Amino acid sequence: MAKKEQKPTFEQSLSRLEKIVATLEQGEVSLEDSIALYEEGIALSAVCMETLSGAELRVKKLTKDLDGTIQLTDLDDE
Amino acid sequence: MSERKVLSVSELTRQVKGVLELGFTDLWLQGEISNFKHHTSGHLYFTLKDDKAQISAVMWRSRAAQMLFRPSDGMKVMVRGNITVYEPRGNYQFDCLSMQPLGKGELQIAFEQLKQRLFEEGLFRDDHKKELPEFPRTIAIVTSPTGAAIRDMISVLTRRQPSVEVIVVPVKVQGIGAAEEIAAAVDLVNERNLGDLIIVGRGGGSLEDLWAFNEEVVARAVYASRIPVISAVGHEVDFSICDFVADQRAPTPSAAAEMAVKDRREVVELIRNYCYTMTSAMKHSLEGKRDSITRLLRSYSFNRPTDLLRQRSQQVDELHRRLGRSLHHSLSLSRQNARSLDARIRALDPRAVLKRGYAIVRKDDAVIDSSNQVAAGQRGSIEWKDGIVEVEFKGKRS
Repeated sequence: MAKKEQKPTFEQSLSRLEKIVATLEQGEVSLEDSIALYEEGIALSAVCMETLSGAELRVKKLTKDLDGTIQLTDLDDE
Repeated sequence: MSERKVLSVSELTRQVKGVLELGFTDLWLQGEISNFKHHTSGHLYFTLKDDKAQISAVMWRSRAAQMLFRPSDGMKVMVRGNITVYEPRGNYQFDCLSMQPLGKGELQIAFEQLKQRLFEEGLFRDDHKKELPEFPRTIAIVTSPTGAAIRDMISVLTRRQPSVEVIVVPVKVQGIGAAEEIAAAVDLVNERNLGDLIIVGRGGGSLEDLWAFNEEVVARAVYASRIPVISAVGHEVDFSICDFVADQRAPTPSAAAEMAVKDRREVVELIRNYCYTMTSAMKHSLEGKRDSITRLLRSYSFNRPTDLLRQRSQQVDELHRRLGRSLHHSLSLSRQNARSLDARIRALDPRAVLKRGYAIVRKDDAVIDSSNQVAAGQRGSIEWKDGIVEVEFKGKRS
């Protein structure tokens, strides 16, 4: 759970990307800054595309043992 | 004389009780409720009447607990039960085993009563409803693990956004204990933080089939959920209390899956557009900067120093030339002057005079320039260009 906090969520990455695009479009940034932003933007797009690229849906079925522990197993479809 | 049989009150009452209780068993009775009292013990006491008569009635707590709706004065009901005689008071009453409303279905009334009550409590309020996450990573689906609903949802999710993770929390979706299971599942997902979004639902069915999703325990669990909940119970026309409490209602389970995730293709398209925009903005910016630099290089101000230099050196050359010319000019002027002077000087040169044939006359080494300067008998010299001759003067010619 702590790991989730460190890595930005898809939503956060996409939102940052939106901001970068808007900033670059306005064109009121110095050349150095715009190059840095561009690089960050391209990197973010790659990360986002990567996240979206999952080919197969992961479906788990939850079962709860008597002692309260959770098990996640693959769902058997019929 | 015959003996009169005299009964005690108890004896009579016991006999009446026997007759009545044996004679009136398992009856269906209809009437209007009045004097309804929900005793603290849990037992219900009321009167059933019609326009001509009335009868006391009671429903014991254990029976009352099974009822889905709450009876009230004026309600017309149908009850099933027996006659019982309460000896200490000497009255008879109808002991109700079950009750249902006349006219509308019991379930329908119960539904409306609960809906009203929870509405008044504020469980359906819009300001309590949460926004659904735009990009959930994990979706917990509380539903039956078998059946069309879960299959449809998985199918839609696979098509739209396969990168998402799904956890199915299997529950009974109808029958005894279903409501409790559903509520417990919603609580569990919240407790263990199993997802960013919950879908609660099932496929279509009758009001009885869907009843679990109208139960108060489910409503409260959904209301208390910190994680956003989409309710997808039955078909379009079915509205359940779970639907009213949830953060979003979907008309079908498939619709719930569509609501839950964005279509991946749209997001991919969006990102591609972003890349395109960024790249062209950069190109534009770079070209703009390059043009600026070129303009700058060509500009008057930028070139002014060089320009200035050139100008100055041109001027210097110019001056140089002019200096040269004027020098030349003055030199030639001087030369001219010098030559004429020279000529004049030469002309004045006595030797030049001699060359022309003139002679210089001298007396005592002094030049004589007048005839009055000599007397007869004096000696002198005459210089011609080619020599000097000694002379003696004679007298002046008159």
